Amino acid sequence: MAYPYVSDREVRVLSKNFGDPSARRLDTYVERGGYSALKKAFELGPDGVVDVVKASGLRGRGGAGFPTGVKWSFMPKDSNKPHYLLCNADESEPGTFKDRELIRWDPHQLIEGVLIGAYAIRAEHAYIYCRGEFFETTQVLARALEEAYEKGYVGKDIQGSGVDIDITVHLGAGAYICGEETGLMNSLEGQRGQPRIKPPFPAAVGAFGMPSTINNVETLAAIPHIVAHGGEWYRQWGTEKSPGTKLFCVSGHVNKPGNYELPLGFPLMDLIEDVCGGMRDGKALKAVIPGGSSVPILNAAECAACSLDYEGVVEAGSMLGCASVIVMDENTDIVKQVRRMVQFYAHESCGQCTPCREGTAWMTKILQRIEDGRGTEDDLQTLLDMGVQMTGTTICVLSDSAAAPVESSILKFKDEYLALIRRGERVGAA
Amino acid sequence: MADTPNTVSLTIDGHEVTVPKGTTLLEAAKTIGEDVPHYCYHPGLSAPAMCRLCLVEVEGAPKPMPSCVTTAADGQVVHTQSDLALSRRRGVLEFYLVNHPLDCPICDQSGECKLQDYVHQEGRDHGRSREPKRVFGRDDFGGDVLFYGDRCVMCTRCVRFMTEMEQDSRLTVVERGNRSVIDTFFEEGLEGTNWSGNIVDICPVGALVSKDFLHKARAWDLEHTPSICPSCSQGCNISLHTRDNLVQRLKPRENMEVNGWWMCDHGRANYEWMNHGQRLEAPLVRTEDAVRAMGWKEAVGALLDRAETTSGSVKAVVSPFASNEDLAAVRSLVDALGGGSMVYRMARADAEVPMDGFPILARRRDLAPNGRGAEIMGASRVGDDDGVGGLDDVAGHDGVVIVLGDPLVDQDASFGQSASLFAYLGMHGSPATGAADFSLPITNFAEQEGTFTNHEGRVQRFWPGLRGPGAAQPAWFVLGAFQAARSGDPAPRSAADAFAALAASEPALAGMTYDDLGARGAVLNETVSVPGG
Amino acid sequence: MSDAPFKNPGWAGNTGEFDLTEDEVRGDDFVGSRPSGGGHPSVSATYPYMLAEKNPDTPLFEGAYKERFEKILTRYPTKQAALLPALALAQEIRGYVSPQSMDRVAELLELSSAYVRGVTTFYTMYNKAPVGRHLVQVCTNISCNLCGAEDVLAAFLRYTDTELGEMSEDGNFTVIEAECLAACGFPTCVQINSRYYENVTPAEVPKIIERLKAGAAGGDV
Repeated sequence: MAYPYVSDREVRVLSKNFGDPSARRLDTYVERGGYSALKKAFELGPDGVVDVVKASGLRGRGGAGFPTGVKWSFMPKDSNKPHYLLCNADESEPGTFKDRELIRWDPHQLIEGVLIGAYAIRAEHAYIYCRGEFFETTQVLARALEEAYEKGYVGKDIQGSGVDIDITVHLGAGAYICGEETGLMNSLEGQRGQPRIKPPFPAAVGAFGMPSTINNVETLAAIPHIVAHGGEWYRQWGTEKSPGTKLFCVSGHVNKPGNYELPLGFPLMDLIEDVCGGMRDGKALKAVIPGGSSVPILNAAECAACSLDYEGVVEAGSMLGCASVIVMDENTDIVKQVRRMVQFYAHESCGQCTPCREGTAWMTKILQRIEDGRGTEDDLQTLLDMGVQMTGTTICVLSDSAAAPVESSILKFKDEYLALIRRGERVGAA
Repeated sequence: MADTPNTVSLTIDGHEVTVPKGTTLLEAAKTIGEDVPHYCYHPGLSAPAMCRLCLVEVEGAPKPMPSCVTTAADGQVVHTQSDLALSRRRGVLEFYLVNHPLDCPICDQSGECKLQDYVHQEGRDHGRSREPKRVFGRDDFGGDVLFYGDRCVMCTRCVRFMTEMEQDSRLTVVERGNRSVIDTFFEEGLEGTNWSGNIVDICPVGALVSKDFLHKARAWDLEHTPSICPSCSQGCNISLHTRDNLVQRLKPRENMEVNGWWMCDHGRANYEWMNHGQRLEAPLVRTEDAVRAMGWKEAVGALLDRAETTSGSVKAVVSPFASNEDLAAVRSLVDALGGGSMVYRMARADAEVPMDGFPILARRRDLAPNGRGAEIMGASRVGDDDGVGGLDDVAGHDGVVIVLGDPLVDQDASFGQSASLFAYLGMHGSPATGAADFSLPITNFAEQEGTFTNHEGRVQRFWPGLRGPGAAQPAWFVLGAFQAARSGDPAPRSAADAFAALAASEPALAGMTYDDLGARGAVLNETVSVPGG
Repeated sequence: MSDAPFKNPGWAGNTGEFDLTEDEVRGDDFVGSRPSGGGHPSVSATYPYMLAEKNPDTPLFEGAYKERFEKILTRYPTKQAALLPALALAQEIRGYVSPQSMDRVAELLELSSAYVRGVTTFYTMYNKAPVGRHLVQVCTNISCNLCGAEDVLAAFLRYTDTELGEMSEDGNFTVIEAECLAACGFPTCVQINSRYYENVTPAEVPKIIERLKAGAAGGDV
């Protein structure tokens, strides 16, 4: 079930227990077949699990879309160092709210996924890094994990298998950048959450200097299903290059915002018009940010032909990111919303790299000035130049992410900027 | 292709370059004289690649690469001056100026500022920012360090220096993003640290400045003279920064075998004495009825006359602040006058002050630059750890007393009263030098060329950065003239001559020449057993 | 609180498609009350660190807190890794992370005080100064903003009679603007101490404030 609304076009794999409080309990989870995938994984062996996940074509759900099985296969097989699996539950990309639901409605699904992932990469300790604001959500996970420890699903000699895997839940403390995998590792180690230079890559030198893999909550939540049913089974949904189902987080000006689990490749307009009950108050669609605030904005025309898979969204002119679909109607003040997004990046920039540290704050100031009616047409060129200088010039992609909505909105909604600059006209102003 | 398995060959700006494996592109570019702009990279510290100023274009790479952490690979084609590289660096420089106060006219760093240099070199003609600037203001970090937050480029060299080199993490980045600022733990400051002056040196802009040097001189008015720090036996390579014939500050000079890029706060602060007034400026000779100032020729003549008629053994007091050349000249004099003893006095600290991140470097216990040199010349250390006392048998000696450089501040006017001849070669007079038959003004190390031998036996050259006062001359020159007049042999005409004579007579230094020592120095011959070694 | 006498008691879920109570949505019934000593070590670092009850003078890391701190240390290969949880503990106890707390944590974890200050200030959830009994964080990022978050923020400021970031005179409230809280489908999302309040509209703000003032539920889990 989706939550808090339901659509009959959904394919409920990961989200089947949303809205069902009883599913949090270990006995219910086990009754419904839970932890059987873990048992199967132990039979397959670590490499067998990696093969199944590779066959499924599952791609990382945190935003980058890198194939999960391939990522796991980068981990050394014969090192005598400890390995770590890090589950990224630092969900903070504006527009994204799927991991919170996955954790609070179905904590054991995640725990089982974490166990299988840790087993596959030969890790004996996994950390689930939850964003600090998720107190309530984390309490559910904590209780479930305690239950799993009590019943021997986590810890030493799991269910008599001889496999030892510990899981620790770690809380962040308020920093978007800790959702970046190397920033997360630094934060976990008790440092400022600044991203690290790559190479070395986490599979070689990760958390605590040891080989590590980081996977998103949704990625790991999909693992038990894939291991239980096989790679081919997962490929019955989605496209050749983007197989499986995906949680779409829809927010903004639709009648029924929420999480919907759909096969990848689902048409964007069907999502808005059908699944989400159409635009709020019958307004016209103006723009959609399809993958969280870090990806380019699509205008209404681009949305029409957009199919929601990794390749389809690129073709339409943006990126799928973490499938956070932010819908904006005709009354949306694009300049203001872009300013608000860039302000967010300025607030969250870790401050290491100069283009990001200075660029995000400068962009915010310029956009604010334009919004206040004191902009010039030269400002637009300056912003576009800054976008170029902020893209591909920094350690991580926060800087690129800040530039994306600015550049794309100036290119696609230039009239709106010019109306504000030349005539002081604001969209949506009362 | 690689010439050997340990090197890689690549092309940088059209030049074939072969460098050791593991060399960064930034270091490789230096080999063709290309200094890629950079802030956060410092060869003595870890490289966080965060200033993003050293971006270069590497063919085949999807985006510009930070040359400070990208290692050179065989067959790589690198462009440091391509449109892409220049454009990205120009962009980064523009970002640096968005909040920079541009207060160069009142900034001590002006003239030696990497922000000025790089913007001039490849920045935009004018900035486009019209927005109000961020203001952090000024913060006294304690010690000699003052922080101007608005000038900071957030390269974090200072933070890394304190963490990695001094290994006392007093500095940190506080806050994040555009609000980031360097700070200490509230009021804790840098008080009690021993190496924090180095953060002023490595700050590429005027964010960290020396309180001692504050508004004292403009960088472009300073002369730089390579020298050796005289404050302990480590022998840190330094530069004397002088203006108007005064030392304005000391700066470390790179020497990987001695001090890296660093020097301690004790040595850095200890330079005022080099500028001290109240100097002996002319030879003073005691005649029957008075003490008379004379020219050198007359004074040396008078000394010759006295030496002819004087008898008794020689007792010499020398200084561990004197150069090898000066010490050797005194030893020759002692020998020529029939032989005798040589002693020196030297303050000694309770403990070494090591720099944990660069283990060969420490503020040594011996608080003088050339105690080792004095030992090699046959002098023995007397007195206590404050560098005083121990001269009882010299003070009342009835033979010849020669004092070089030691101002005898702990002695009274009876010193040398009984001597058959008391010659004092020094910088300053004191009550105890009052009895001297000859008070001969000599230059200090900052005013002359010479060498010191450090604690590990490394002989290192220094050069004159100041003019000596009045008629003052190096001791080797004065005594050389005396010896030449006495023996008829030619006098040494330069410090190099004096050193050559020393190298010829002293096995530990055999084979060394000024040319070979260069600016880096050389270690004493190991096969020779060296007193004090 | 499912029988709270107004339409939206601060949680989403009553869309008509689910028959759920607030406890069921939040999971309170499932979680129950967490043992003060930290429970299982694997989850000993997951306590909410914004509580209504704060006492800046309470000693750090004593009694049950010491037990929790020691459990936390067992879960990481380095002492330094316990820094974030340790700062969270300090804030849970004292309401904010004072320089004295930083110093104490630094001492316990063998870190420099300056380093701990650097880490503390990197993260927004560590309060660097005391805040009101209820720390109200209104998300104004894009998804909530599109649905009127700025009006919700204005309403909180008006009804608590405070300036942004300032504590109200009665010490009850500090209202700040928050970045995305990852509840974008339930705009506007407001975090009050440790609880999320979802689908908040300006009209509901006075009721929420009354309820908090009355000492109900507060923001505590």
